[in-house]
Amino acid sequence: MWLRSASFVLDKRLQQQEPSSFFHDPRDSAQPPPPSPSVDPMDQNPDPNPNHGISAYYQTRAEHHAVVSSDWLAQAQAAIGRGAAPPSGCWPSAAASSAVAARTGSVGGGGGKPFSVIDEFNYWRKKPDLAEAVAAIMALAAVIRSSEATTMMELEIELKKASDTLKSWDTTSISLSAGCDLFMRYVTRTSALEYEDFDAAKLRLIERGEKFGEISLKARRTIAMLGQDFIFDSCTILVHGFSRVVFEVLKLAASNRKLFRVLCTEGRPDRTGLRFSNELAALGVPVKLLIDSAVAYSMDEVDMVFVGADGVVESGGIINMMGTYQIALVAHSMNKPVYVAAESYKFARLYPLDQKDLAPALRPIDFGVPIPSGVEVETSARDYTPPQYLTLLFTDLGVLTPSVVSDELIQLYL
Amino acid sequence: MPDVQALVNDFVLKLKRRKIEGSHASARHTAELLRSVISQQRMPHTNQAGALIDAVKAVGEQLIAANPVELAVGNIVRRVLHIIREEDLSSTATAIEGLGLSAGSDDDDEGQHVDHPALSAAALAAAARSTLRAPSLQTLLEDIPRSAVTPQPPSSGGDSEGKSKSDKNLRSRKLKHDVIEAINELIQDIDTCHEQVSEQAVEHIHQNEVILTFGRSRTVKEFLCAAKEKNRSFRVFVAEGAPRYQGHVLAKELVGKGIQTTVITDSAVFAMISRVNMVIVGAHAIMANGGVIAPVGINMVALAAQRHAVPFVVVAGSHKLCPLYPHNPEVLLNDLKSPSDLLDFGEFSDCMDFGSHGGSPLLHVVNPAFDYVPPKLVSLFITDTGGHNPSYVYRLIADYYSADDLVVKRRSTS
Repeated sequence: MWLRSASFVLDKRLQQQEPSSFFHDPRDSAQPPPPSPSVDPMDQNPDPNPNHGISAYYQTRAEHHAVVSSDWLAQAQAAIGRGAAPPSGCWPSAAASSAVAARTGSVGGGGGKPFSVIDEFNYWRKKPDLAEAVAAIMALAAVIRSSEATTMMELEIELKKASDTLKSWDTTSISLSAGCDLFMRYVTRTSALEYEDFDAAKLRLIERGEKFGEISLKARRTIAMLGQDFIFDSCTILVHGFSRVVFEVLKLAASNRKLFRVLCTEGRPDRTGLRFSNELAALGVPVKLLIDSAVAYSMDEVDMVFVGADGVVESGGIINMMGTYQIALVAHSMNKPVYVAAESYKFARLYPLDQKDLAPALRPIDFGVPIPSGVEVETSARDYTPPQYLTLLFTDLGVLTPSVVSDELIQLYL
Repeated sequence: MPDVQALVNDFVLKLKRRKIEGSHASARHTAELLRSVISQQRMPHTNQAGALIDAVKAVGEQLIAANPVELAVGNIVRRVLHIIREEDLSSTATAIEGLGLSAGSDDDDEGQHVDHPALSAAALAAAARSTLRAPSLQTLLEDIPRSAVTPQPPSSGGDSEGKSKSDKNLRSRKLKHDVIEAINELIQDIDTCHEQVSEQAVEHIHQNEVILTFGRSRTVKEFLCAAKEKNRSFRVFVAEGAPRYQGHVLAKELVGKGIQTTVITDSAVFAMISRVNMVIVGAHAIMANGGVIAPVGINMVALAAQRHAVPFVVVAGSHKLCPLYPHNPEVLLNDLKSPSDLLDFGEFSDCMDFGSHGGSPLLHVVNPAFDYVPPKLVSLFITDTGGHNPSYVYRLIADYYSADDLVVKRRSTS
């Protein structure tokens, strides 16, 4: 089983060398740990070459949400070896060693400076409740705090550099780049106000940056409250993927003593369904697990579909875990409403026209048996759902129809 | 205020007993009632807008609870609240510009602190205006300058106190006056909505067209008559609209104006729809997602129209525009009327006898008053502001309503 094997760890390393057989003694194949301070071209940019098989974004989510068992930890630890730093250095097993790794492994953010935006970002990212975009904002706020610039222009340039570094850490994460863009947008708008005092302006920016972290958690609560009315007694909800926002909605509904039932898709290959059903069962909500293929079979008894989003694009569509498009199509053909719960900082200035328009985010899939060499595997981790299949979006700006999203974006960016 | 309270109680009673029929009458009465409430309201020295808002909310809560299905009542209450906020904002903005920047921090109902000297009044007013609009991406991080900025020296504060007090009295009277004027405009809009909608009739009805309508809507009647007066020749199919058979009344009125009319039963709509160029119906309420609450049977007509690709046009005054989203509209926003409309008690008294069969009769009669038409079935909304797409409805709502007023509940702390 994928989760119980260290093959996930191995995959990463193997792809750095050359494709070899699946099960491999980690100690034999382990590269010499990249020497920390000296330049390893991979470490300069913590997300290594684009041919890398795994999107770091999904790696994080796996860390936060995968079912982690103790011998998995042991294996992962053994696979890493002591002191060696995988480029994006954070394994839940060894917080201490990963902290060390993070510090030594990342040279990004302007070489030689004691403050590294990537450090800060990694620090924030480890909190499981905090979204990635928010972590990026906090990191950027920290950049302002520690900046030695004396004019707005300088500050803007520094921020732009930091933002680019963060974005390049994972080129596939939409909410990350959307969050960075949002923050940059605010910086450029602030400088339009006539602040005579640069320090005052700086303070304001820091304030805002820190406020954003609270906004993230508040956003989830707002969304949870907005979603309450739509969950009526004895309804059946289908969920896909483990979205913390959707979980918040359901948690609040359960605590308001609403009686409802949840159907959870298995969510291969991340097995998000297992984790989600664990959490829901802990709340006392009746849960039923479905394999991904059983969605159409069960769509009859479903009253509504609830999903989160990795990003909301300009057309009003969403980018979410692979399988969302399929579910939305089935729901639409059976006239079931599809509700999306997404915070507003996930609105991105993208306009994908079809599935391949997205930056690819790949995830290795373990089928349990070795795949013959000539067979390709579709490893993309996410898909795009066009707006006509979505009914409503619950955001911290209120309940919106998909057509409102582009309006909001125009208002902001114009 | 016993005078006003008596009026309120009277109106509440009428609403509960369903003595007031139709959204036009309800809207008008509500507006007039709120006007009396406001004119009788005693204004405190500080925070007049807050006091007005509280008073209106208190009355509004009662009115909405009396007849939750009559959405026009809630709409007008929210319109009035929005008017109060707007008038207060514009008067504050002009007052600030008038006083220079020395006004004290009395205006904390909007949470403004005018204590940063470098901020121009224009910027502040702009920021304040943005707080009134629905929260959007650009206002997400926008925060009116707070204590991060150095506060005003107290001496100038004392001077401004005296000045601002006299201004306060002036402003309080002005505020009431402005609000009442705006409400008068609102009442006028409600009265003239039919004319405004009918003006657009000529653009939509062309020569030799066949139009289908359902039941009797006053707005539709005036719409068609206006087109007739402009010498368009067209024919009308009127579906009789069981069980009230108001379609018969409409047919008679149309013939009186010289329009060629055909009366059909509701069941014949599907049969006749292929001969029709356009369907025009009225609505009871338009919801925030573009869905329509309409007299029962119109959902069927909408489906028939979609099946045969016939444009489905809804005409309604803007007082019918409701900022709520319909979750479960078939249940929550429906009125079940008396079964005597359908079946004569005389003939069926033994079937519907609660005395026999152990207290639960075998025959039930259900007579719902309303239908919900989802937004995707509607081609066009014609309101007194013009013709709009269902996906544009959110914009109209943002113009007429404030986000804070969606739940009309008097808060114990202001």
